[in-house]
Amino acid sequence: MNNESQAFKGTISRDFVKKEALKNNLFLVVVALGLILTFIIYLVLSGNFDFDLFLLLTLVCVIIPYLIIAPISAWYFAAYKRNFSYIIQENNIIINHGVFTKMRATIPYKRIQNINIVCGVFDRIFKTYSVKIETAGHSAVSSGTKSRGIGPEGYIPGLKDPHIIENRIKKMIFQSSLPSEGLEEKIFKPQELAFDNFISYILSKMREGELLQTSIKELREKINLSASQLAEKVGVPLQTIQHLEEGRYNPSLVLAYKIAEVLDCTIEELFKLK
Amino acid sequence: MKFKTKVKSNIKELREEYNLSQQELADKIGVSRQTIYYLEKGSYNPSLTISFKIAEVFDDKRLKEIFYQEPVLKDILKNKTLEDLDRIASEVGITTQKLIQLNKISDDQLNERYTKNELEKIAKKLNSDYDDLFEE
Repeated sequence: MNNESQAFKGTISRDFVKKEALKNNLFLVVVALGLILTFIIYLVLSGNFDFDLFLLLTLVCVIIPYLIIAPISAWYFAAYKRNFSYIIQENNIIINHGVFTKMRATIPYKRIQNINIVCGVFDRIFKTYSVKIETAGHSAVSSGTKSRGIGPEGYIPGLKDPHIIENRIKKMIFQSSLPSEGLEEKIFKPQELAFDNFISYILSKMREGELLQTSIKELREKINLSASQLAEKVGVPLQTIQHLEEGRYNPSLVLAYKIAEVLDCTIEELFKLK
Repeated sequence: MKFKTKVKSNIKELREEYNLSQQELADKIGVSRQTIYYLEKGSYNPSLTISFKIAEVFDDKRLKEIFYQEPVLKDILKNKTLEDLDRIASEVGITTQKLIQLNKISDDQLNERYTKNELEKIAKKLNSDYDDLFEE
């Protein structure tokens, strides 16, 4: 049920585009300079420094490709940012990414082993961060790669404040790793009462059935119902009914209501405070 | 198909009738004031011992008088204006009357008069899921 745990949708920041563009441009400039240097060396060594040839080579091999590649990659990164979104849900996190091939990674919290926050050289200029989510089998050891298999399973780049999302994920992981529904409902919801309830739960378990007296078994047998049939009708595991009948369990009000409904009696007939 | 219910309580009214503050009631039962607060708010499924102890404080009333089960749907419909209900009913394709009746009928009548499809649509229009409002 998604009541208190609202899904959290997010996108990455504009600065991601700028950062990737800068990285790309720097790379292209380095390549360009390398090419130009190569031409110069070649022409000098060949003894005939033909300036026009040099100019032509530079134009064709350096400037025109740059003029083509730079805007295309700028478009690509902008598209990447546009298509990138993530949703932090109750049981998993979904990451939508991809420009040509749209991909959607669903990572259940139960599989998350580690969450890393990375800030590379270029990240530091634009104050962006990347969040890497490791699961068993997908580690962030080979950092920087977004490919399947070796890279992290979840990769969210270009975040301005990664701690918000990190904490959100950690909170969700905690919530989804809480004990089974029955116990969770009784004790850990709402969180502020957790300690209160935990203490009284422990105390009541310690005083093993001291508090409640129950006639579930008799009433059940009256209408010829087995413990497992009752468990099925109520919607709880057999163990719960067994523990209740042994008087070792302090049920919740809702559970008591359900049993009373199935056995067609009032709660007071089922349970008594000793 | 059945209505999904949740437990609501009259604790606040009873407490005021008996002239008790939240803290006083909490002390009598042996829990924190926050527990009483959440009980009254209705977002909490209390244990049976706490429920019995509360009943004791209120002169051994029957639990049914203090804690009652109400369909989750009722709360939601309660907050809708007539215009909202008219709109939702027409978008789903039923009469407003039929929509309002959901508040009053039993589980058996639910099965007789409504299809699962209708209920799913109604749930969506109420910004909810079928599973939040109904169960098998």
